[in-house]
Amino acid sequence: MTTASEVTKAPQTRISSVGAASVVAVGLAIVVGFGLFLGRLGNNEPLLKAKIVGRETTSSGVVTLATLDLATYPDSMAGEHGASGGAHPDWVSYGPSTNIWVPANAIVRVTIRNYDSATPLNSAFYASVQGTVGGDALFNGVAASRVNAADVAHTFTIHTYPTAGQPLLDVSVPLPGVAGNAPNAPGSNYPAPSVVTFSFRTGSSGRYVWQCFDPCGGSGYYAGFGGPMQTLGYMAGTLTVGGGNNA
Amino acid sequence: MLKASKEIKVVGVIWVVATVAGVTLAIFAHRLLPGMLPPAASSLAKSQDFTLGLFTVLAVPVAMLVWVVAAYSVITGGSRTMPTDEGPRIHGNFKVQIAWLVSTAALCIGLVVYGLALLPSIYTPSAGRNLVVDVTGQQWQWTFSYPSYGNVTSTTLELPVNVPVTFDVTSRDVTHSFWIPAMGVKVDANSGVVTTAYVVPNLLGSYVVRCAELCGLFHAYMQSPVHVVPMNAFTRWISKRQATNA
Amino acid sequence: MTSVIDHPSAIPHAGPPARRMPLSRSVLSGLVVGLAAAIVTFYICHLVVGPGSVRNTELTLAYVAWGIGFLVGIGATNRPLSWALGRAEPTLELDQDLAGKGQGAWRYFRFTTDHKVVGVQYLVMSMVLLAAGGLAALLIRLEVARPGAKVFSIQTYNTIIGMHGLIMVVATIIMITGSFGNFVVPIMIGARDMAFPRLNALSFWLLFAAVPIFLSAPFFGGFQTGWTAYAPLSVQTALGMDAYSVTILFFVFSTAVAAVNIVVTVATMRAPGMSWVRLPILVWSAVASSTLGLFVMPAFLASQYLVVLDRTLGTGFFVSSQGGSQWLYEHLFWFMGHPEVYVIILPAFAVILEMVPVFTRKPLFAYKVAIGGILGVSGLSVLVWAHHMFLTGWSPTASGPFMLTTELISIPTGLAFLAAIGTIWRGKVWLTLPMLYILAFLWNFVIGGVTGLYLADVPTDVQLHGSLFVTAHFHYTLMGGAVMAFLGGVYYWYPKITGRMYDERLARLQFWLLQIGFNITFLAMFYVGLQGEPRRVGDYANQFATGNAVASVGAAILAVSFLLFWYNLLVSSRRGVRASSNPWKAKTLEWMVPTPVPLENFEEIPVIREGPYEYGYLPTEASLSIEQSSEPESAR
Repeated sequence: MTTASEVTKAPQTRISSVGAASVVAVGLAIVVGFGLFLGRLGNNEPLLKAKIVGRETTSSGVVTLATLDLATYPDSMAGEHGASGGAHPDWVSYGPSTNIWVPANAIVRVTIRNYDSATPLNSAFYASVQGTVGGDALFNGVAASRVNAADVAHTFTIHTYPTAGQPLLDVSVPLPGVAGNAPNAPGSNYPAPSVVTFSFRTGSSGRYVWQCFDPCGGSGYYAGFGGPMQTLGYMAGTLTVGGGNNA
Repeated sequence: MLKASKEIKVVGVIWVVATVAGVTLAIFAHRLLPGMLPPAASSLAKSQDFTLGLFTVLAVPVAMLVWVVAAYSVITGGSRTMPTDEGPRIHGNFKVQIAWLVSTAALCIGLVVYGLALLPSIYTPSAGRNLVVDVTGQQWQWTFSYPSYGNVTSTTLELPVNVPVTFDVTSRDVTHSFWIPAMGVKVDANSGVVTTAYVVPNLLGSYVVRCAELCGLFHAYMQSPVHVVPMNAFTRWISKRQATNA
Repeated sequence: MTSVIDHPSAIPHAGPPARRMPLSRSVLSGLVVGLAAAIVTFYICHLVVGPGSVRNTELTLAYVAWGIGFLVGIGATNRPLSWALGRAEPTLELDQDLAGKGQGAWRYFRFTTDHKVVGVQYLVMSMVLLAAGGLAALLIRLEVARPGAKVFSIQTYNTIIGMHGLIMVVATIIMITGSFGNFVVPIMIGARDMAFPRLNALSFWLLFAAVPIFLSAPFFGGFQTGWTAYAPLSVQTALGMDAYSVTILFFVFSTAVAAVNIVVTVATMRAPGMSWVRLPILVWSAVASSTLGLFVMPAFLASQYLVVLDRTLGTGFFVSSQGGSQWLYEHLFWFMGHPEVYVIILPAFAVILEMVPVFTRKPLFAYKVAIGGILGVSGLSVLVWAHHMFLTGWSPTASGPFMLTTELISIPTGLAFLAAIGTIWRGKVWLTLPMLYILAFLWNFVIGGVTGLYLADVPTDVQLHGSLFVTAHFHYTLMGGAVMAFLGGVYYWYPKITGRMYDERLARLQFWLLQIGFNITFLAMFYVGLQGEPRRVGDYANQFATGNAVASVGAAILAVSFLLFWYNLLVSSRRGVRASSNPWKAKTLEWMVPTPVPLENFEEIPVIREGPYEYGYLPTEASLSIEQSSEPESAR
């Protein structure tokens, strides 16, 4: 074991194992603490829970009935970022939150009020309604399964192929824009919204994401998909089905 | 200490034994670790699995040579105290050097030739009428259109079994990569360019398309279902989609 | 060359301890001037561009201003300016002051020209970057330990993988050439300092200036592109990308300055008798990898310069609808990106080959062949880049030639292996820490090299490209290979650099934790890669759960190991037992000078009479029966 010199009884450097062990403990604690800190930074959207309103009997049995109210704004002053608009007041946003919870084995009736004007879609596919109950949606009270691709302001699209043991949830609904020159409604910072309602069916519990497919991130970004499109809390978010929070 | 000639023999025997053991392990690895390879749902995927096995078998003797020589020398000549005497002053050995150079070169060239021979199986379509599927990558979902069926579009990929498929792949924004792990198909989706990939799905079942090129926020979620179904089921699905798309 | 080098006698370093701590021309004045320049530039641009939230124009310019301001503040421009203004010639005293004479530990925080100071600065910077990159790696493994993005958001995850990637790439590029290339190489060739001591300091402080720029990226939204930063995603992504691009601008200048210095130093400052065939392998590979970097790193700079223009001015170099091409970016990037892994691995080979003869008490086997291997790898490495583009959908006929060059490069790589195992064969293996790392290198790098064959051959690359198999492969080469060689090198030169010995028992424990943790982590990653899990995903299907959980356990073991490593080095540098000037009985020149090494290394420039690895007893007739020992490369 001699290394430092040829002398057989050369002194050896010895570090106390207590010191080493405490360094390891402190180091690992720092890593975990840093991870939790980042986790808090990244997951600060408040949880928006769909309201359970009753039960309904369908051909496939009794399901929970829930309602979910969402809105899309041309800026960030009315949603989860507060009246000041947070870090990016001028970014388009979904409200009241992008972190959504809906019950499992339910029909969720969604109402989305859109206050923003149209940006033509990159892909006309997203002008059609996909995966809703009945295959259509009510656009300002009129049922349709497709709108004009040039009139779309945003979409609400749940996608994600499920991980094993999680049912597929493939829902997409276009949100027609309000007129670009529409005056603000009385007592509001926004014009009168266009209202879209639709229902979708959830299966067993699972974790999903949803996003907007309209290139509404602004012309400053390549393909219109930067800024709010690539930032959770604006035009993209998470959707949890069922789980521990089930009422 | 043994004479050099004797040591070479000993090491040679150990190397042969280790190589045989390693090759056996390589051949049966996928049995020992079930689920290590995705289900081979095309002949392309089967051929890739074979190539993976073949390369592993070829690599074993090379790896074993390095490890056996090093391990043998450490076990027979190693000590934790400073050696009191020196090792033999060998500066090199011409024959060994040439043998090493020739054998590694032969192995490498062999692999290149093998790879070149297989290239056409990836880059050329199968004979017969191909089903064309237009694949479009977009942040962060794939859409699949069937031009021969009035451009029916869907977010799930439905394929008839045993029918050759040509994928025409493109992107509406950043670079994505179209990958069906079970079929051994992969090609990038580039904005402004149409790239192609060919496959003949030959195993009924449900698989996935994944994006294999980091494409931003929801790259991890950019995956779609693939269903390989009998021809009549495919026709039914297409008509149903045509009805809803209309 | 400065007049310090022309001065005939060496100045012993053991002067009086820090008699003054001048704040000017130090890292503190650099910080002050740099921050001031950045803030002023930011607000001027903000006024010019107009109100609103932060945009990439003002951020990019502020970053550049910070870097330049920092270098001015630390005094990098003092000498060139006074020379340009025709002020008096520098005196010996000024030169020695610049070399850090009599400044104690303070000289490590100044624009100090002594190559040993620069070497230690690089060594500490490597450790800091490895720690930062390692922290990012642990956060990655924390997130993907279980399916479902549960610890932090997918957005944060995407930024962390890019931070991890680039920090580790920079760390591995500088760790050997920067640390040992500066500390050891000039002594190895019998020189008193580098050819351009001020450029040497400049290369370190350019790098130092880049680090805070990069670490600021998460505060501006991060960048969700990974370290490869493929355009047009990088054109589109958040403001953090500007930090990435400007970091690269500074880093490439830093590597260029360092590379020129190393090449010129070796070419012109070798001691009498130190012919090219008597150069230690580390010197050869420092020259080879520096030259290689000099050729390929500008492609990285060009790519990021174009990204900056695309982002700030909307030039559209990489946007197909504006006539640009995403493939242009990929070519530029990989033209740097693949040779760059050899810039990392060549010095690692060399550290291994440097240590093998010492710890087997034998001459290096096939010294000239090993040099041929190193040169062959450098030459071929600029011809392989497009194997990263097999699946872009480009012309299939172009794949053939790149498949050939990629497979060919394993031939010269094999020669380096031949030298290593040929030397170990029948050696008196002395199982010290460096020797353990040599063995670990042989284990890991063989796995890394062999798995590279699957990726080099198009038929298998179709399946494996973009999967975690690739991630596992290059971690086996860069971490299992290069970082292991670096750690071995740290244990080897530690007594020379610090004058003390580390706790060997703790170091052995750390070694085994490292090997076990490393192999658990990345074998599991091979497994999920074969299963079909893509790289860079923060959430994945349940079928990959087992492999990922195992990999995360391995990563935790790695964390423990690295914590013990740094603790051991830190504590031992203060409290370790004193080391003799040549504890390994090695024959290269750095072991012939006293410890601590005096300011100008040699009292008298040595005259070299034999090669660097003349270990071993002369063979007798009997032992020659099998080995036909060729003549020693050098006359004695």
